[in-house]
Amino acid sequence: MRIKQGRTVVLVAVAATGLALLASACGGGGSGKGTTTGGGSTAGKTFAQLKVVWGPTDYMDPGLSYRLASWQIFQDVYMGLVVKAHVSCQTGDCTKILPGLAASLPTSNQAGTDYKFTLRKGLKYSNGEPVKASDFAYTVARDFKLNSPGLGFFANIVGIDGCEKTPTSCTPASITGITSNDQAGTIEIKLKNPESDFLYELSIPFSALVPSSTPLTDTENPPPAASGPYYIASYTPSRSFLLKRNPYWKKDELGMSVPNGNPDTIVGLMTPDQDRSAQLVQSGQYMYDENLLPTTRLAALKQNYGSQIRFWSTPSTYYWFLNESKPPFNNLKARQAVNYATDASALVKLRGGLAIPTQNFLPPSYPQYKKINPYPYNLQKAKQLVQESGTKGDHVDLYTEGDVDTAKSAGEYEQGVLQKLGYNVTIHEIGSANYFTIVGNQATTPTPNIGYADWFEDYPYPSDWFHILLDGDTITKTHNNNYGLVDFKDVNAKIAQLDALPPSQAFTAQTNAEWAAVDNELQTKYAATVPYLNSLLTSFLSSKMDMSCDIYTDSQDDLAQMCLK
Amino acid sequence: MVAGQEDFTLDTAADLAGRERDGNEVRGRSPWALAWRRLRRNYVALASLGVFLLVVVCCLLAPVYANHVAHRGPNDTNLTGSIEVNGKSVPVISNGGATVLPDGTVVVVPAGQPIGPQWGAAGGQYVLGADQLGRDLAVRLLYGGRNSLRIGLTAAAISTIISVLLALLAAYFGGAVDWILSRVFDLIWAFPVILLGIALGTALSINGFHHAGINLAAGDLWIPTAVIAFVFIPYIARPLRGQVLALREKEFVEAATAQGAGPIRIMLTELLPNVASTVLVLFTLIVANAILTEVGLSFLGAGVQPPNASWGTLISDGQAWLSTDPWFSILPGIFIAVTVLSLNIFGDGLRDALDPRAKVRIEH
Repeated sequence: MRIKQGRTVVLVAVAATGLALLASACGGGGSGKGTTTGGGSTAGKTFAQLKVVWGPTDYMDPGLSYRLASWQIFQDVYMGLVVKAHVSCQTGDCTKILPGLAASLPTSNQAGTDYKFTLRKGLKYSNGEPVKASDFAYTVARDFKLNSPGLGFFANIVGIDGCEKTPTSCTPASITGITSNDQAGTIEIKLKNPESDFLYELSIPFSALVPSSTPLTDTENPPPAASGPYYIASYTPSRSFLLKRNPYWKKDELGMSVPNGNPDTIVGLMTPDQDRSAQLVQSGQYMYDENLLPTTRLAALKQNYGSQIRFWSTPSTYYWFLNESKPPFNNLKARQAVNYATDASALVKLRGGLAIPTQNFLPPSYPQYKKINPYPYNLQKAKQLVQESGTKGDHVDLYTEGDVDTAKSAGEYEQGVLQKLGYNVTIHEIGSANYFTIVGNQATTPTPNIGYADWFEDYPYPSDWFHILLDGDTITKTHNNNYGLVDFKDVNAKIAQLDALPPSQAFTAQTNAEWAAVDNELQTKYAATVPYLNSLLTSFLSSKMDMSCDIYTDSQDDLAQMCLK
Repeated sequence: MVAGQEDFTLDTAADLAGRERDGNEVRGRSPWALAWRRLRRNYVALASLGVFLLVVVCCLLAPVYANHVAHRGPNDTNLTGSIEVNGKSVPVISNGGATVLPDGTVVVVPAGQPIGPQWGAAGGQYVLGADQLGRDLAVRLLYGGRNSLRIGLTAAAISTIISVLLALLAAYFGGAVDWILSRVFDLIWAFPVILLGIALGTALSINGFHHAGINLAAGDLWIPTAVIAFVFIPYIARPLRGQVLALREKEFVEAATAQGAGPIRIMLTELLPNVASTVLVLFTLIVANAILTEVGLSFLGAGVQPPNASWGTLISDGQAWLSTDPWFSILPGIFIAVTVLSLNIFGDGLRDALDPRAKVRIEH
């Protein structure tokens, strides 16, 4: 997903048993260690109100949002049939799949194409409606009606083709691969092909069950009823949100592996101003800052509030996408030139040092990562390549987020780089709440030639990166995540081949090496993008908060587990 | 004949008295000479003009400063470079970064702090320090001034020329012409200047302007110039129209008509000279307003586009640094204040000199 936006992953893979693969995959990437289950104890740590400062997000509807800022909230609000463990990624396996609304992990057939779930008994949404088995099909159909960016997750379900062809006419009944029995509480999902990461796909918000009374349109005021320990009582885009305890949530009875939650209410103030959000926590008015710490004051904050700040390495990559469908970056030498001319160490400085330079697309925490450096900084060589490409003097439209200081500065830096190469650059600074929607829409004019982008894993497997972001087979007209319209047939075929491996082969040394080769090929042979850093994220808590309760899950800090001193 | 020549002022009386005393022949002085005499005695206005001209000269010399003192252009980034300060090599932007230890612990050394004002310690480089991209702040301040002044002055000039033409047409012809033009003025006047400027500036900064044979790229400085010129038209045209309406009924206009002078000749030779002093004063005041409007639009992202500098963009860029490097925003603010204040004081002095009884104001 985007650090400020998320994305769906379409992963088709052969899996005899998805469970076996997940059990081995959970320790294969991300930053998790160990196999602890469930969240921390909340006994005696409840308190009335948690006040947080938040960055703007795209949507607060689980069917539409693809941003970490929303998913961090959703981890305590919207539950899928399965969930990721709400444990610290530093001390536990935060990507481990555990039963959510389902009573247990599913059974599946030998081929891994037929999954059967049984819902827990007595589940209710925050509006009092019972959680029904048929709600899963409704959720999937609703995603199609919404033209959700998560549609690709469901592409492997039998009978989904009609919905893919005409999303507006998608109904639960038309998805023949999903059958359910509300009385028995059973759900059966049939896949066209085995898919090793299918359970991961069921753990993300696009698959989180919503009541069948939920409107088939963007629902944000308030957002859909919740199945988790909290529900979103109100939301004003880019301004505020309010979470309250779900009155129908009963963890102890239901035994779900999600914490009850310590705060009774969570009040969120939204602002893209990193300086302001840090100031609010610094002054004690708010208790947690979801925004990145302002790089302008990082040294001072670290010195004065070091005990209240945490730095987290994340499975993320920041990169410039290059539009390969039109000049100048449909020219390989032009793309190579931008790679040579972009100094990652400069961009690390613009991020206040909260980053590690890279030229890989995959993050270094992955077993499939093999460090490459095909384009050491060399401005002269870059200029020569531009000359050879014949694109010098071309007009370039560069897009970046204009209300986030780090992205804005990075955009202006890259603009300077392109101008040094001889391009005529116009920079377009877009509000972060709409940025990815705009660059992901092929109808946007002027068409972005190059743009700021970032990616934070949905789950720790390379297809979550290559298949979503750089596979020509996943390009869509809107909500497109392959912003550069990267489409190299041999790479597409390789990705499909690796995705289709049986689970027993998904993490072998050879497979890992082949994924590393894909990473290498995309950069070295095709210069498909300009990756430049793996990001760190920060957590800044006020002096009232007990830092031991700051549990950093796969969806960032878990608000439900925060506690006071 | 120029209206008002028969007006008797104390200056004229003193002059007459002096000449009679001396026995010299009395010579008439033109209104312009009298105005210059009055202005010459207004030391505050002259000093303000001097300050404004000093700012203009400094900004005009920006390329000289950039090439020969700072050795750096206004848009030259320098994130990874270093300079010699008192014999020591200092990074322009502080170094740092992050390391992930084998146990997962993250060690961060904050980076990205720009170098502060060096004054003369770095041989002319970064006299006022660097911004977050390693650009020389002093160079950007001067180039920003060039852009702000250029846009302000040009926009004011264009606006004045168009306003004079429209005001003359509206007031001389009257009737339907006057009605249509007056409604156009009212329509533009109805929108707050900044809001209208933002709307037009933002729309044109996305794709530029490519119509009627005019091709302006998205970041072209002519775009904010044209936008500002457009929004200030009624602020000059309306008061001028009123003056011309009054003058149109004077006998000298009637006499010119009787002599067979056509409309254009009457407008240019009879009416225009009589409103010239008002035009001049309005122009001066509009320049100040145009500069302020440009600063406001650029601050909001609807004026000068990055990486080009303007005083407004410099203040905007400096917002994130207010707590650590407040001079990023304060310095351009001082330049703006000094420039606009000096223009306004000079404009007041000019108004007093040209027509002490005039009540020319820019009404918002």
